[in-house]
Amino acid sequence: MSDVHEWNDAANELNAIVASFDEGEVSVDDLFAKLERATTIIEALEARLATTKAKVEELTPRIAKVAEGE
Amino acid sequence: MVSDTLEEPVLEVGEFYQLLTAHLESEFGRRRPHWVRGEIAKVHEKGHVYVDLVDAGSASSDTKRPVLNAHCWATPWAPLKRKLAAEGVNLKPGMVVSFFGYVDVYAPQGKIGFAITEIDVEGLLGDVARRRQELILRLANEGLLDRNKARTLVPVPLHVGLVASPGTEGYSDFTGQLLNSRFSFDIVLIKTLVQGEQAPAQIVGALESLDEHGVDVICVVRGGGSKGDLACFDDERVARAIALSSTPVFTGIGHTGDESVADLVAHTRAITPTKLGEELVAMVENWYDTNVRYSSQRLLELSTDVLDEAMDYLGERRRTMIFAVRDRLRAEERHLASTRERLVIQGRHLVASAAQMLASNRQLLGAYDPVRRLAQGWSVVTDANGAVVKSLGDVTSGEEIHVLVSDGTFGAQVMQKKETPS
Repeated sequence: MSDVHEWNDAANELNAIVASFDEGEVSVDDLFAKLERATTIIEALEARLATTKAKVEELTPRIAKVAEGE
Repeated sequence: MVSDTLEEPVLEVGEFYQLLTAHLESEFGRRRPHWVRGEIAKVHEKGHVYVDLVDAGSASSDTKRPVLNAHCWATPWAPLKRKLAAEGVNLKPGMVVSFFGYVDVYAPQGKIGFAITEIDVEGLLGDVARRRQELILRLANEGLLDRNKARTLVPVPLHVGLVASPGTEGYSDFTGQLLNSRFSFDIVLIKTLVQGEQAPAQIVGALESLDEHGVDVICVVRGGGSKGDLACFDDERVARAIALSSTPVFTGIGHTGDESVADLVAHTRAITPTKLGEELVAMVENWYDTNVRYSSQRLLELSTDVLDEAMDYLGERRRTMIFAVRDRLRAEERHLASTRERLVIQGRHLVASAAQMLASNRQLLGAYDPVRRLAQGWSVVTDANGAVVKSLGDVTSGEEIHVLVSDGTFGAQVMQKKETPS
């Protein structure tokens, strides 16, 4: 998962893979490799998202305190 | 002339004053009061009050202008002073005033004066109001009423300069609002008198010091009181110091309904010290609501939106990938099935064609079948070794040969050979 780039770059790579499928450019020989790469990217991004979400949830009560004017 | 003069009795000084007093009393009556109106040229108070009264509008450079040395002894002065103070009036040079009193000769100082027993307060109030109005007009003409209002107030005025008298109700009311709020106001206090003759100079000094100190706002605070108590806030020096301050000056002076000249020239005016404190807190509160609380709320919402959006994106990409791969595999399966089908059909065609060709060949070959030829009368000749005799050279005369016909064989002998003519 370490070779997955920053979010936007990774998302662009993922979009490109999906686009290659949409346009029928993927040969059967390449299919597994591309699917595996897409899965790797999705799992990496989901892991990052979960981490970010956990951090945000940790900060939320603090921000909420300000937002509620306490 | 000299002898005539010498005929007059020679008076001692005391006798002279007695005579003078008698003449004056015969003219004015003993302690018969009169109203005298004039402009105060000088005023001095030390228990008793001494006033030099001149004709209103006369020039001070006129050395021959008449001056009335009026005085009010401490006993009658005390109630008069209270009455004036209650209305916010202090006798000052330039005021036009009417005194009620009588001619008073004070021999020990050789003075013919005027003992004041009463002052026309109503008239004086009119004069004070007129002078106040003139001051306001002057300030307006000089553009000073709006000068301080044009000063830019920082969005969060937490660094507050305070001109007040600690221990007074107004001071406590104002600072209580700030200190009980949830914001960290930093108050720089300069203590001053907030009433009396000395107050204006102290207030002006405090305003100038705080302006140099560099605070966000200067607050001039004074609780309620009589007009006299609040008179220092109608003072021209105070008004000018507020107007010319480069720092916005807020006032919270007196009760509801009191409006001093200081209020008129101030950047912002609150009706009481408490209200001024409330307004200052409200300013910070509004800024906080707009810039911090609202931003925090938006930050929370937007963070959630970004995360939700990212989750939706990944979910959608995941589904898209699954469908894309499935579609791709199905397409390949369909392609293979189609190819397989085409191959089967083509194979069948090939087999049918081959069968047809075989049948045709078989038919062709049938024409060359030896059995059919034998049945037609053809025969096959072989030598003793079984070799088919195809030419004259394959046999010799007298050689025994075998002849195959359709229903069997028989032996024969070569009798003669004869070539077929070409």
